[in-house]
Amino acid sequence: MFRSYEWMIALRFLKKGKGQTVLIILGIAMGVAVQFFLASLMSGLQASLVDRTVGAAPHITVLPADSLPGYVSGPQKASSDNRNPIYSEKTEILSWQQYPEDLKKDAAVKSISPTVNGSGFIERGGVTVPVILKGVTGEGLKLYKISENIVTGKAELSGDSAVFGKKIADRLSLSAGDKLNLKNDRGEQVFVQVNGIFDIGSEAGNSLVFLSLDRARSFLRVDGVSSIEVQVIDVFAADRIAKRYAKGYTRVKLESWQSKNRELLQALSAQSSSTNTILFFVIISISLGIASVLGIAAVQKQRQLGILKAMGTSNGSAAKIFIYQGFTLGLFGSFLGVLAGLALGYMFVTFAGVNFGFDFSAKMIITPVILACLASTLASLIPARRAAGLSPIEVIRNG
Amino acid sequence: MADNIISAKNLNKIYASGKMSAQVLFDISLEIERNSFTALIGPSGSGKSTLLNCLALLDPPTSGSIVIDGKEQAGKDVNSLSKYRNERIGFVFQFHYLLPEFTALENILIPFNIGKGQAPANTVKEAERLMERIGILMEKNKYPGEMSGGQQQRVSIARALINKPGIIFADEPTGNLDTETGGSVLSLMKEINAENNTTLVMVTHDRDIALKADRVVELVNGRICRSINIKSLGLKEAEKLLENRSCHP
Repeated sequence: MFRSYEWMIALRFLKKGKGQTVLIILGIAMGVAVQFFLASLMSGLQASLVDRTVGAAPHITVLPADSLPGYVSGPQKASSDNRNPIYSEKTEILSWQQYPEDLKKDAAVKSISPTVNGSGFIERGGVTVPVILKGVTGEGLKLYKISENIVTGKAELSGDSAVFGKKIADRLSLSAGDKLNLKNDRGEQVFVQVNGIFDIGSEAGNSLVFLSLDRARSFLRVDGVSSIEVQVIDVFAADRIAKRYAKGYTRVKLESWQSKNRELLQALSAQSSSTNTILFFVIISISLGIASVLGIAAVQKQRQLGILKAMGTSNGSAAKIFIYQGFTLGLFGSFLGVLAGLALGYMFVTFAGVNFGFDFSAKMIITPVILACLASTLASLIPARRAAGLSPIEVIRNG
Repeated sequence: MADNIISAKNLNKIYASGKMSAQVLFDISLEIERNSFTALIGPSGSGKSTLLNCLALLDPPTSGSIVIDGKEQAGKDVNSLSKYRNERIGFVFQFHYLLPEFTALENILIPFNIGKGQAPANTVKEAERLMERIGILMEKNKYPGEMSGGQQQRVSIARALINKPGIIFADEPTGNLDTETGGSVLSLMKEINAENNTTLVMVTHDRDIALKADRVVELVNGRICRSINIKSLGLKEAEKLLENRSCHP
């Protein structure tokens, strides 16, 4: 294909029209650089925002169904958890083991943590502080990224040990190894030892106290579990996955992080649309630039085209000469643009001191390249049509 | 019967633009013998270039028939005419029309590229042989802008020959050159024509140049007013005939 004479002529026209070629390539490069930089900035920013929101939190939470009567009077679905109704299922899931079993088989699921939630009080130095308790297994600690964020001590739960959020620990002046009494609302109390203190960045997260699942169960008098917390590989697929499983389960409900963070998602999507609008107009302006430069070139090369046509160049080939030029300009321009965008991103990260990463993935690079090549090829159709329609006799007769 | 490579019948050419129209050729019938050299002469506006362009399949006639190589060519679609021109016809124009972006050698190879793509080594050799024959091998890597008018016209002659066409159409090939250069370009064309068994049809307004042809066809006001066969009449007789300026169709 690249050995055809249309390519040879297209490339030579570009090479010999150096000034024009360089200008238009720079124009495309700048457009692509802006596009690439903006898109990776936004994508990186959104990814880090989402990661901060749900990176150390469940993406899907399996909870007891809202109301039992609805279940009893509703149509009996042939579902996989079609067991005897249990009356206390409003606050806990009694026969819960099957759900992790199901979810484990799903390749989209990253981790599953059966959890017992509850609250209690800690008395220390004459102060009583209410705390939120979470009974989890090792998997749960992983889900909340406790080991990565441990400040002192160890992220381990066994027997009496508990892991404390930094906010609580500060308030009660706790340090690893301290022993204290944990009370529940029935007035019962249990002895725990501070095994570690973590800081996961968020205030809500740092107010948590993690206990082992069994300890929490007996302390909070829960026979099953309060919820099953799930993380999936693709954060944005959580809602879809939750909905899919919800269809098969009648005795539990599934909540995705998206359903709890509508506002954040709306803000992200508004940001995306405004970015896309800017990108759209950048592409339009690139296309107009190419169309006008190649349009001028088509007029300038009219003489050459006329003689090529006299010598037997078909209308289609004459058009190809311009389409190939458009494509080549797009390819070189976007390649240069991506390099410039990468440099811009690097400088931004290095000198502006941003605390989030850019998204320099293959998709981010390939998309503007494809768009620019497509736009410049489409833009070249205008001069290409003109070239195809040119009659050699007009050129020859008019000298 | 003569072996005619071109046979045109009742050619009419009318240029129309909006409500205005002008007839340039009136019912022209003309036959051109294979391997001959025909000069088309006539005053400005006589329609000689238009006739050449019609015969060369560049400009379709408004009506009439053009048979080349025994096949009707009038009425064919643009792209098949392009293909035919590429394979069978060579062009030499007054304004050489070389592509300024390409070197002399590349310009010569372009008709080959158009028809068959990249030129193989033996075609490049053939182009170089042609350049040597024409006396421009030294210029092979020069761009048109770096060559003299005579050299450029020689390049365009080589270009016209590269696909070994049956017919070469030339429109005032010496019109832009000084007398000496023009003379040498013309004799070169004649020689090449004889060597390669091509048919040469040339438009000129210069009677001296026309007398170098085998036959002179004179046009006035879009009609053929006379056809002088120099070969059979002899040069002196032909000269005498041409000197008689009154020519009425």
